[in-house]
Amino acid sequence: MESPRLPKALIARVLVRSFFLQASWNFERLQSLGSLYAIVPALRFLYRGEALTLACQRHLEYFNTHPFMASPVLGTLLALEEKSCRGEKTYLGVQEFRRMIMAPYAAVGDALFWGGLRPAAAAVALLFALRESLWAPVVFLLMFNLPHLFFRFFGLVQGYVQGLKIVEVIQGRRLPDLAIRFKEATVVLLGGACAALAFFTTRAEALPAGWGLVAAPLVILLGKLAHRGISTLLLVLAAATVVLALDRIF
Amino acid sequence: MGIVLTRIDNRLIHGQVLEAWVPSIRANCIVVANDQVAGGTFQRVLMETAVPRGIRVKIVALEELRSTLESAELNACRTLLLFASAADALQAHRLGVNFDQLNLGNMHGGEGKLRLSCTIALDPEDIEHLRRIEEEGVRISSQCIPSDRQQDWRKLIRDQGK
Amino acid sequence: MPLTPYLLAASVSVLAGLDRTAAFQFMISRPIVAAPLTGWLLGSPLVGLQVGAMVELLWLGRLPIGAAIPPDDTQVAVGATALAIGMGEFLGLGGMALTLLAVLVALPIGKMGSYFERFARQRNGRLLQQAEAAVAEGRLEAIDRLHLQGLIHFSLASLATYGVILLVGSLVLYLAGPLLIEPVGEAAGWLRLIFVLVGTGVILGTVNVSRAMTLFAASFTTAFLLLWLR
Repeated sequence: MESPRLPKALIARVLVRSFFLQASWNFERLQSLGSLYAIVPALRFLYRGEALTLACQRHLEYFNTHPFMASPVLGTLLALEEKSCRGEKTYLGVQEFRRMIMAPYAAVGDALFWGGLRPAAAAVALLFALRESLWAPVVFLLMFNLPHLFFRFFGLVQGYVQGLKIVEVIQGRRLPDLAIRFKEATVVLLGGACAALAFFTTRAEALPAGWGLVAAPLVILLGKLAHRGISTLLLVLAAATVVLALDRIF
Repeated sequence: MGIVLTRIDNRLIHGQVLEAWVPSIRANCIVVANDQVAGGTFQRVLMETAVPRGIRVKIVALEELRSTLESAELNACRTLLLFASAADALQAHRLGVNFDQLNLGNMHGGEGKLRLSCTIALDPEDIEHLRRIEEEGVRISSQCIPSDRQQDWRKLIRDQGK
Repeated sequence: MPLTPYLLAASVSVLAGLDRTAAFQFMISRPIVAAPLTGWLLGSPLVGLQVGAMVELLWLGRLPIGAAIPPDDTQVAVGATALAIGMGEFLGLGGMALTLLAVLVALPIGKMGSYFERFARQRNGRLLQQAEAAVAEGRLEAIDRLHLQGLIHFSLASLATYGVILLVGSLVLYLAGPLLIEPVGEAAGWLRLIFVLVGTGVILGTVNVSRAMTLFAASFTTAFLLLWLR
């Protein structure tokens, strides 16, 4: 029996395809067809005939994780498929690994990229935008995408090289705690942005600068309302109406 | 006992729970009641490490759930309790775990399941389990994340019948 | 109606709309990027930047997790920018007031975007069924085609949201624009401030950081006093 190893070009194809993971996102099985789409070139390389059909079917099962975290998952799945094709036993099978890994990895990715990095990058970009600098979108894209692309690339490669051990590597990084740091940074940055905008707005409207301090309790009040579940849209429209009314009166 | 939310979510700990529910209800402890996860080391460790340090996680079998919740350690906590299925929730309630509200988060589709909303698909067995839980005095509603509207589960079933 | 700018901006609508969920996730879809990009294409990047700065924070905390669909702030950003620039030329108005009006009109329609997106995702369910059948019959070459067809559904959903924003927005701005432009213009500075304050408030109220309010108050006070007591 030959012992196939996946060529590098094929792994690169899986990487490119992983950017389209969610193209057919659906309520039935979320990213299932997407994960098959990403990995199918490798399956076609490894298997033939009946075995290929079975392999495709196991990658068409329910799947959902964070789109960037899918990278290390796909990498590990490549390693597992390669081993199982050679007849080697692994601690976890392809299906078991897929099923177990998706939710915890989704939690990590959601916290780190959506909850942590994205708002932090947006808060920095906002400071540029408030100064009317067109660097704002550039700064945002760089801050977000350098870690993003690094993670996608090395996630897939390391997943493939390390196999199941990648799980320990990712655990060792304590990513959920890193996400909290990003969130704290976002809050601090937004505090500064609100202060600066409030200060310059009061000055432009020729009010005593001290009035700008009112913005802080106002934000906290708005935060409490949002926490109570009042929708953002309602808050914006109501606040805008109040501002317009106040502006008419004074 | 300080259970602030009881939820059925077949994905157990994931982004919706950690990023949306935990801050919304100010939970500082998550209890997962699931025999399968509690029994498998690999999956349990994976799940525990997805949670940031400030939040306590307990992953226990259904049998141990009540004693865990009544322990001194958890008594002072604001706890979010997670089940993977309606059957588990029913069993826990029968074992004396008291909750008076039950949130349906994600119950994903499968063979022979009736899709009631985007995130909830039930088979007749699930409906039977939920009905029994309700008979024991629990209010059941579906709400995927806090910013979604809360909907009574019976209304979902009725809407489907039309 | 100002057709040329609207059609040009439609390309950003599709590109950024796909970036939201279906492909890439380079975050071109965030208002802070999508709006200036639209503005740049239509010759006024600064209008886009203003739209982006106002809309960016509002739904930033609504994460695209699992089956939850956040309001479509991408199309709000693209649509409001296209409206502000297009209607500005058409009505002979301009400035911050028109930009603000365009955003205020586009925001409620953005919420409708999740309905179109839900529809696209439901249509994708059929692709999954077809793919299952294809795999069972060994027609593997169908996988790529079926999967990528989802891109069409997502594009159409984006265009639909964008189209509704333009239609309703143009109509409202045409009818009520000349009437509202003056009061909005006078309060423009305050309105811009309130957008950022609401956005920050919503993030503080929904983020899972203990003591978020304390951190915010401390950094706000520090920055404000540094500016004030200079």
